[in-house]
Amino acid sequence: MHRIGVFVCHCGINIAQNVDVTALTEYASQLNGVVVAKEYKYMCSDVGATLIKDTIKQFNLDGVVIASCSPRMHEHTFRRVANDGGVNPYQVEISNIREQCSWAHTNREQATEKAKYLVRSAVSKALSLEPLKPSKLKVIPEALVIGGGIAGIQASLDLADDGFKVHLVERDPSIGGHMAQLDKTFPTLDCSSCILTPKMMEVANHENIELLSYSDVVGVEGSIGNYTVKIKKKPRYIDVDKCTGCGDCASACRLKDRIVSEFNQGMGKRGAAYMPFPQSVPLKYVIDDKKCLFLTKGKCGDELLCKKACTQGAINFDQKEELVERKVGAIIVATGYDLLNPTAIYEYGYDQSPDIITTLEMERLISSSGPTKGEILRPSNQQKPKSVTFILCVGSRDETQCTWCCRIGCMSALKQVYLLREKLGDDVEINLCYNDLRSYGKGYEEFYRKVRGMQTNMFRGRPSEIRAMKENLKIDIFDTTTSKLFEITTELVVLAPAMIPRVDTTEFARLLRLTLSGDGFFLEAHPKLRPVDTFANGIFIAGCCQAPKDIQDTVSQASGAASRAATILSQEELEIDPLIAMVDEDTCSGCRICLEVCPFNAIEQVQVIKGNKTVTHAKIIEGLCQGCGACVSACPSGAIQQRGFKDSQLLPMIDEIT
Amino acid sequence: MKKKYAIFPGCLMPTEQYAYELSIREIIPLLGIEIVDLEGFSCCGEPMKSVNQFLTLYLSARNLAIAEKDNLDVFVPCAMCHLALSECQHVFENNPEMKKRINGLLAAENLTYTNKRQIVHTVDLLHDHIGLETIQQHVKKPLKGLKITAHYGCHLIRPSEIGRPVDSENPQKIEAILTAIGAEPTTCPQKLDCCGAPLLTNLPESALTKTGQKLQAIQEQGIHGMVDVCPWCHKMFDNRQTKAGETVAAKLAVPVLYLPQLIGLAFGLSPDALGLDLNLSPVEKLQQKEEA
Repeated sequence: MHRIGVFVCHCGINIAQNVDVTALTEYASQLNGVVVAKEYKYMCSDVGATLIKDTIKQFNLDGVVIASCSPRMHEHTFRRVANDGGVNPYQVEISNIREQCSWAHTNREQATEKAKYLVRSAVSKALSLEPLKPSKLKVIPEALVIGGGIAGIQASLDLADDGFKVHLVERDPSIGGHMAQLDKTFPTLDCSSCILTPKMMEVANHENIELLSYSDVVGVEGSIGNYTVKIKKKPRYIDVDKCTGCGDCASACRLKDRIVSEFNQGMGKRGAAYMPFPQSVPLKYVIDDKKCLFLTKGKCGDELLCKKACTQGAINFDQKEELVERKVGAIIVATGYDLLNPTAIYEYGYDQSPDIITTLEMERLISSSGPTKGEILRPSNQQKPKSVTFILCVGSRDETQCTWCCRIGCMSALKQVYLLREKLGDDVEINLCYNDLRSYGKGYEEFYRKVRGMQTNMFRGRPSEIRAMKENLKIDIFDTTTSKLFEITTELVVLAPAMIPRVDTTEFARLLRLTLSGDGFFLEAHPKLRPVDTFANGIFIAGCCQAPKDIQDTVSQASGAASRAATILSQEELEIDPLIAMVDEDTCSGCRICLEVCPFNAIEQVQVIKGNKTVTHAKIIEGLCQGCGACVSACPSGAIQQRGFKDSQLLPMIDEIT
Repeated sequence: MKKKYAIFPGCLMPTEQYAYELSIREIIPLLGIEIVDLEGFSCCGEPMKSVNQFLTLYLSARNLAIAEKDNLDVFVPCAMCHLALSECQHVFENNPEMKKRINGLLAAENLTYTNKRQIVHTVDLLHDHIGLETIQQHVKKPLKGLKITAHYGCHLIRPSEIGRPVDSENPQKIEAILTAIGAEPTTCPQKLDCCGAPLLTNLPESALTKTGQKLQAIQEQGIHGMVDVCPWCHKMFDNRQTKAGETVAAKLAVPVLYLPQLIGLAFGLSPDALGLDLNLSPVEKLQQKEEA
């Protein structure tokens, strides 16, 4: 025989006003299985909690029904109180007589009647609830960080400093990401590589960080606390243990200065044996297997010049792709962004003239390690431009391309205006066509004011066309502040393209079981309150793979993600909420319907041998299941039940109110 | 069997732009298309649009209904008429109420339009329906070395949401046809610039300035000639070229031809049959160049 206690809350007057709480308490005390019923003004207060605890002990209760607000508000509180009192926390049932009764009705008599129904129903469920225990899961205190841009670097360093082993996977030959390509950063004009390179070096030398550069994550299995990750290490064709980074192979390469350099945004040249940039980490060369003559054609002249040049014998054309496995407890995704190819907006003529470039290309022109050694030269004739025009929002805030703001376009253009003014002097005309100038961060507005005073012609509007004339470029723009149509004649156009998700984001999201938001970036669990969490427990996101942001925000988010990951990694074991789905293996027919409906990919198909037969059935991955119940209702044979919401627990509730 | 199209002549072609019609009637039948003349066509409606949109729709629907009676698709060489009829098609597709209302009025003439006729313009008829291969097969005198620029005209490219025969930002179909007849399609930055015609009535000076500026730019870039596919554009670039030149203080001598005229030349047809004597721009320059 069960011993249930019912506790009715007044919620100040929120409930008491429309429900006769005293009558309700009296009614509840008469119900089958109820040994005591009590009322109190604020059941969630300390006094209320003590009342519940004392009553549990006094009447030796084994089940508790709380008639109060929505379980979303205080279920957690009352479970803890019951536990403290000595009742299994999963034998607590909440009857929502506030949102579903007192707030919804004005007739006190009828509302009281309804509250009685609700409480009776909850008591009938409490009678069939079973004590549950959270299961435990061992945590592997290591982390995987995907992406070696500033976000991945920051997250890795934070975790490594906390004492966790970090495996940092970068698909390019060097870490550094987009930030390594920048010359200076806004608004402080810090030299980008001067502040980034020390961090890159720290990554390379940190005893807790394993750097897997030139590698791809190709498989992720398991769940929070215990992931198995498959990583493909692409062959460098250079033995990293022997390579000293001297560069003799690159100078010897037959294709030297004949291959477009990705790092310099196509504005400089490299060879097939190359290092992306001088501060690369790891400081090792790599041979481009898509370009190298020996690797593509099987022959490179009479002899392999790079092999001959290398005094360390590091060149090894026999290297093969290697698949490695790492076990980790948490994953941080920091895969970054791509820039929209401006040819998508035909009228801006990006492919019509070499003198129409992007802000990132301009960044390489400004950089002293760039293709022009920091001189601003027009790509068409290698002369100094007499006039430069910036065009913002190229594809951003545009319903035909990307509806969102790139959040860095305005500031990066202003920064470049500042640097160009410094480099080119006062007699060069600088124009800037903007939509709205968004200088929203700390110190940004002040920077904007400074640039506004530097003889910059500001046009508010979207140019309708850029025409590549013989000698120069002509831009048609309707200035919306003066309502006048202008034709700007200029020599160099700099487009600030939209930030878009990496081209392979959709595939990658499938691999990691992550969801994407409408714009194609990774979706966070809550836009305000869980900005670095994802719906996959144990996987966190940082940087521009979540949404466009600047370096400041990226670094903050990366530290946030690292600390969220550390919350998991610092525990030896994790408790798994027991209110999740469970499969009756004997009833399950292995039809896979539940696998299709599960939004968390928390169900797998397993084969077990029973007697001399192989049986296929569904199995819940406890670490992933969020207890949404989708599989329960989808299962055609009723083989899946959810703990705390079993048919045998819900049906009596319905019986009581019908 | 030859595919048949009812030709919708509009107002400009039968009253002043004879060369367009002449050249079309020369080359289209050669390419396996039969052009059928129907009785009863009226104005396409577009000129009334700013005053009475309903009347515009009614007139467009009436013309389409006449073609539907004979179960024929419609070939509209004038880009403006093509826009009017296409817009009517678009409204009929998306506004059943309006369709019902207009069909109610058309009933007085025993007409009805169910929205099932295809409406083609010279460019898509040649490029999409006849095809580049067929055009190429008929070329007898490839126009080698002729640098020609294409003028599409606004009505042919916009508004894109009602469906136009070519892309609105980067149309390439005429260029493909030019390549097929052996000419050298040459793009210039002014490719999509206005011909000036829409301003001709109210601001003739501004209109001619637009015309003149575009022709001047083409001339400066050493392009041998221009083809157009709209009687309104042609009226500006060809007929009013001298006047446009005076307006921008430039001596203009840019041969301007209708696209079917240039195709006809490549097919080896006589200039007279193509109505070249009706062009006022110095088209003989092009012929000399071709012979040289």
